[in-house]
Amino acid sequence: MNNKRKWIFRGCTLLVVLLIAALMFVVGRGHTVYIDNKTLEYNGETYNALQKVEVWVNGERLSKLSKRDRTMTTTIGNGFEMKLINTVNKGDEPTEVTVNLSLPYGWDGILVNIPGYLANLPQEAWMSEFIIEAAPPEEGEEEPGEDEIPTAEF
Amino acid sequence: MSGKQQNAGKTAFTFLRNNTVPLMFILICAVCIPISGFSPSYLLNEIITRLGRNAFLILSLLIPIMAGMGLNFGMTLGAMAGELALIFVSDWQIWGIPGVVLAMIVSIPFSVLLGWVCGKILNMAKGREMITSYIISFFINGIYQLIVLYLMGSVIPIAHSSIKLPRGYGIRNTVSLLNMRQCIDNLLAVRIAGVKIPVLTLLIIALMCILIVWFRRTKLGQDMRAVGQDIQVARDAGINVERTRIISIIISTVLAGFGMILYLQNIGNLSTYSAHSQVGMFCIAALLVGGASVDHASIGNVFLGVILFHTMFIVAPQAGAVITGDSMIGEYFRVFVSYGVITLALIMYEMKKRRQKANIGEQLALAQKEEEQHE
Repeated sequence: MNNKRKWIFRGCTLLVVLLIAALMFVVGRGHTVYIDNKTLEYNGETYNALQKVEVWVNGERLSKLSKRDRTMTTTIGNGFEMKLINTVNKGDEPTEVTVNLSLPYGWDGILVNIPGYLANLPQEAWMSEFIIEAAPPEEGEEEPGEDEIPTAEF
Repeated sequence: MSGKQQNAGKTAFTFLRNNTVPLMFILICAVCIPISGFSPSYLLNEIITRLGRNAFLILSLLIPIMAGMGLNFGMTLGAMAGELALIFVSDWQIWGIPGVVLAMIVSIPFSVLLGWVCGKILNMAKGREMITSYIISFFINGIYQLIVLYLMGSVIPIAHSSIKLPRGYGIRNTVSLLNMRQCIDNLLAVRIAGVKIPVLTLLIIALMCILIVWFRRTKLGQDMRAVGQDIQVARDAGINVERTRIISIIISTVLAGFGMILYLQNIGNLSTYSAHSQVGMFCIAALLVGGASVDHASIGNVFLGVILFHTMFIVAPQAGAVITGDSMIGEYFRVFVSYGVITLALIMYEMKKRRQKANIGEQLALAQKEEEQHE
């Protein structure tokens, strides 16, 4: 009986640890979100870039985008919220839009096109995966160094 | 000279003999600090940063000492387990505190496996644990290099080319941990007079200290102390000595893995092939500087050791540069002092053992003489 209880306790502990690991997997997934203010072509229609867009994330102004500009931010988790203050044409009154996005788990980099989003197009029109090419190899990187002693950083 | 004075002299001599290493380091720091010219706030900032970075790793050494297995140079195995976990977590793109927590969880099976192997081998080499664990760390380092350099990316899936070597398999020299850099240190951090205090990190270390104190009072902790004092007596008392020793090494390895993750989240990048190589040596040196010995170490030794050893680490290059005009002298100085302090501690331990043996011999001879006189 005592042995059985011991094994039940161990099993429960393992289960809790696995659940925590699974939770960390979901809530800790990092993404880089690229936000574009570029003219979008979709189904033969053209959606023009805005005159000016201010992008606010977590209460801080991330960037002020002119036509053809792009900015980026990083986020943890699959929910992403940003505030856009848009000026569609020169001289127009700016309008404020709060954007809530659900980010696909498998994408590291996510490209969001603002004109497409504001035109209420389907998600595949304004959201796409952004893949960065790996940095070219640095000289001598093929093999790890033999005399790397971490004394300085210790 | 009166008896009182003689006693005071004897006490002072015993104190000096028992605390030679910490006193030597206090002296070195006292000389080097004014020469280096660092401001008190800078020094304090650096010491607190290094305390948060290293204390957990050094705490992982206490349990094997309690079990009489000496200084666990095999903690490097835990460091390697932590690094493997961080490579996986970086590849899975889990950032921030969830990344650190997940890395700790992922490191556990690696640490347990490596700790079990190390414990098994150390049981075969009773009485020579330190040198054996030192050599095991080199052996496992070879396996680690094989896994990281050849198997990762070819057999073990690694998705991101930013982590892989340009040839398509193997891990790059440096893995960026920028997305989890100081995430624990910065959460709840406070600044007092320009000194950053990483409250959460210090709380984790404090919790670890409480856990160690609690562990000493548990049945397993008592068993370990009994094994540490006398293996034969412990065995006669019904303690499974081999199992207890293996558990102590497993716990130490798991804690070293956690410590390495905390250490690397503070640094912000992982030197894949070398980050673990000197960790054991520096942690052991720091513990010995704090006044610990091969058979006795306390939590107080950990903190005193981190403070003294790292103060020397911070001020030595600058003091060397001021004295000789070459900062490399200071660099060499701190490395040779690290090795020197371990050597000194080992010599002192042997001397103490011989002295104790000689005292016991003298007492026995005296008792025999008295017996003969009575007859």
